[in-house]
Amino acid sequence: MTAPSPNKIVGEPVDRIDGQLKVTGGAHYPSDVGYPDMAHAVLVQSTIASGTIRAIDTADALAAPGVFAVITHENVPELVHEVMTPFGPSPRFPLKDNRIVHHGQHVAVVVAETLEEARAASRLVRVEYDETAAILDIDDPRAQVTTNPYEMDVERGDVEKALASADIVYDERFHTAPVTNNPLGPFAAVARWDDGRLLIHSSTQWPVMERHVLAGIFSLDESAVQVLVPYLGGGFGAGLRTWPHTVLTALAARILDRPVKLVVPRPQMFTSVGHRPETVQHLRIGATSDGRLVAIDHEGTSTTGAEESNLEPITVVTREAYDCPNLATHDRLVALNIPNPGAMRAPGHAEGSFALESAMDELSHRLGIDPLELRLRNFAEVNPQTRLPWSSNALRECYRVGAERFGWHHRNAEPGSLRDGEWLIGHGMAAVSYSWWATPCRATLSLGRDGGARLRAAATDIGTGTYTIAAQIVAELLGLEVDQVHVEIGDSALPLAPPSGGSGLAVAFGGAIEDAAAHLVRAFLDLVRDDDRSPLRGRDPDEVIATNGRLQLSDDPGVGESYTAILERHGKDELSAEGETDPTPKAEGMTMSPAGAFAAQFAEVRVHEELGLLKVTRLVAAVDAGRVLNEKTARSQVAGGMVMAIGMTQFEETAFDPATGRITNATFGDYLIPVSADIPDLDVVFVGEPDRYNPMGIKGIGEVGITCAPAAIANAVYHATGKRIRSLPITIEELL
Amino acid sequence: MSVLEYRRPEQVAEAIALVSADPGAAYLAGGTTQLDLLLKDGVVEYGTLVDIGRLPLRGTSVVDGVLRVGAVTTMEELAADAVVIERLPMVREALLSGASTQLRNMATIGGNLLQRTRCRYFRDRAVAACNKRAPGSGCAAVRGPARMHAILGAGENCIALHASDLCVALVALDAVVGIEGPDGQRSVPLTEFYVMPGERPDVENVLAHGEMITHVDVPLPAAGLRAQYVKVRDRASYEFALVSAAAALRIEEGAITEARLALGGVGTVPWRAWAAEDLLRGRQADEANFRAAAEVALRDPYTVPGTEFKVGLAQRLIVRTLKYVSGAQT
Repeated sequence: MTAPSPNKIVGEPVDRIDGQLKVTGGAHYPSDVGYPDMAHAVLVQSTIASGTIRAIDTADALAAPGVFAVITHENVPELVHEVMTPFGPSPRFPLKDNRIVHHGQHVAVVVAETLEEARAASRLVRVEYDETAAILDIDDPRAQVTTNPYEMDVERGDVEKALASADIVYDERFHTAPVTNNPLGPFAAVARWDDGRLLIHSSTQWPVMERHVLAGIFSLDESAVQVLVPYLGGGFGAGLRTWPHTVLTALAARILDRPVKLVVPRPQMFTSVGHRPETVQHLRIGATSDGRLVAIDHEGTSTTGAEESNLEPITVVTREAYDCPNLATHDRLVALNIPNPGAMRAPGHAEGSFALESAMDELSHRLGIDPLELRLRNFAEVNPQTRLPWSSNALRECYRVGAERFGWHHRNAEPGSLRDGEWLIGHGMAAVSYSWWATPCRATLSLGRDGGARLRAAATDIGTGTYTIAAQIVAELLGLEVDQVHVEIGDSALPLAPPSGGSGLAVAFGGAIEDAAAHLVRAFLDLVRDDDRSPLRGRDPDEVIATNGRLQLSDDPGVGESYTAILERHGKDELSAEGETDPTPKAEGMTMSPAGAFAAQFAEVRVHEELGLLKVTRLVAAVDAGRVLNEKTARSQVAGGMVMAIGMTQFEETAFDPATGRITNATFGDYLIPVSADIPDLDVVFVGEPDRYNPMGIKGIGEVGITCAPAAIANAVYHATGKRIRSLPITIEELL
Repeated sequence: MSVLEYRRPEQVAEAIALVSADPGAAYLAGGTTQLDLLLKDGVVEYGTLVDIGRLPLRGTSVVDGVLRVGAVTTMEELAADAVVIERLPMVREALLSGASTQLRNMATIGGNLLQRTRCRYFRDRAVAACNKRAPGSGCAAVRGPARMHAILGAGENCIALHASDLCVALVALDAVVGIEGPDGQRSVPLTEFYVMPGERPDVENVLAHGEMITHVDVPLPAAGLRAQYVKVRDRASYEFALVSAAAALRIEEGAITEARLALGGVGTVPWRAWAAEDLLRGRQADEANFRAAAEVALRDPYTVPGTEFKVGLAQRLIVRTLKYVSGAQT
């Protein structure tokens, strides 16, 4: 490794390097891709939630102008239906047989010369069903229930005994509504086949996983599948699965032997690419009268689709949240006739932390202890589950700085005590840790004779700033300007990388870049090892630093030379190096607990005392994100999470018709996400130090912004009104 | 694939002739909803659409104390109209609380009056039971998660809401709709323009085939009428009302001499609360009377699970709005 870098680029609020392309329309999203002879596909979806297709009549659709094909379960070619991924089996293939397991299941795909022809013909497909009773209610006793579905339940100590002897026992239930990811960019796939090879432009957050699944489904070698997604219009987890519409697009292209494009319309986005499932939770907490937690029992139940799996670990947030000797967490999964859920920003954690942090607030009021003080009294000095020291933990600083900026200690703690005319004012807070998850990552880094670097990896930028932070890391480590770094990502053919998901990409990708940069510097020094004309002859990496496009001795900056000079003298166009990292914590031998980001959020709300109107007027987030790579994009990530949290807390609910399982608000006119006027000034401040666990000191922050804001807002509503709302969203009727 | 013919005549008579002659033709009016229903949702079908956007029906004029608004005047244009700003602030408030700026720049006053309901049971062809779409098929919304639905003028046949903000203010002010059709011109008070669902939820207004709205007349109130439009909705903008109220009072020596009250977000049609007005007239402008008026206004609602809260919310809003208008302190 080179000596510490003298360049200060990482951490700076560098503008997005892809910003200009995006605002000028030069950044091509999957839905922008076109080919000259491309056909268009439209999905036909079921209008029942449970049953079988008795007959499907495609004659009129096939006879309609421009129609090339109608694919149904009756004529679908044989495919492999299930491929394993780190998130469980690939989603159920809807055309595998004549069975319907949810309303809005794909029953046919119509392919025509133009989109309009495909859409018109899709209305001519006539389906007759034999309907059976659908199971739609999370409490339906007929529903199949899986206990400990993720094998992540934990028990420590003796919860029941501790509850029995506690001074105070808290026992309440919570509910969160199903909500839908709704990235602004509609999900799309454009597929083409050439000589048995599949090229697919696809809305995915994980090209390598998508390649693996498509190769499995079409019985191809992985090298015969290429997935391209240079830009993605958001995903929020929806892009972590290979959804059936992607498979059907590739299939249609293979059948027709021409490129096929499918863009999922907004209403179909609600049933085709996942959602955050409904949850019910039961929390029991035992405490001493001076506010020491002695026991926590957290049970969380979420819904999933029939014949589907889903990873929604609701209670995992609780096991490491506080220093509590007796703890049990249990997750349950209930299968219903609903569309397959999937990951949505902080899956499980967002719901689980709403319950836990609401409960902590409620407990503090019952004990007469300030909510912040209660949390400090139960601060986890070490990871309470493993007893290992944290690799970093600045949660106390999050509390302190957040409280200071918010003015927490100046408030009157009495509920209903603050008022401005007709408006009741309330203050609330909550805190959380969000650990990151990542898989191994590789990267290739090269430096050419023009003095510029090229970084390649199958990572993605889903709008969060991956391009920019990667360029900053390379620029800092190699001593270049940011605009001298060309970043190539979003292509499964590039070196393997984890998803934009689980708040883990920056940790893994950063590590791989760091490794590649070290190897690249070594490669330059190897090249001049016996070079009489090089001032760096025979030098080791730990003796040099990279700055201003050159390598020089760290203790004698005048001795050195530029990358370009070395390459020119040796007649080389470029030098390349590979880097890799495996951030996965080991099962044994760990000396520290790899920490995720920590955050405390403070909310101020106003509630109209007569009309129940709720307005969040201030939101402060103090975040320990380890080493922040770009203050601007990091702030945007956290602020975006806070906006999404306001949506989840006040507005969003995917409303299922209880009789039919149809989603009754699957449009942006009916499904409410926050508008600008709903969002207050968001104060985001970063605290803490670089993390010790990974070489770059990074902790992912994609999800920590959404996790504790719902509880902070609900706690503020309680402070304003004296009403404890344990169900999301908090709508007007609950505040009347 | 159904072929749609599109026409864009320059004169009213030509437009009327085109639609009157063809049972499968319709005006492209209420455009933001008409195009959704036709192209996106596939709920309605026409052979010919006659775009009235070029007809000379744009702009306002004042004659004999009445503001005449051409049917293709946009919502933003009307909100910026000097007479509206000065004499009809409640109309302006209602206009600006509707839709979004982008939509208001396109949406017309005639179109606002003729907007179709947002009911997602009506708008989704996957739902079989919708009396408005398929008369006699029933109403699936009464058993669904209804929330943005009507509680007044509603019944088991239909709970579809008329979601306009503007119309609430206009019915309160006794606006009159100017209509022209193959048989000539006529005028209908806005309070009589809409038809409550009853047995025929598919019939929404008094327009016959070929008739169009050419203008809306709004009488300018005499000085001293205090009026306000207040809207309660889930999010701060770009959202329909859960409940809204247009209230106007003239108070002389503490007594109410003129009372106007209309409600939005609760009616199958823009809802004029006649009985509440009758109760208020001649009484003192105080909270007890406002509460009594609110009570009367929400008498005999038709609620389903999910809309029950609107009764109480509407009553609270009526009292609150009358307090604002009367200048009463909280």
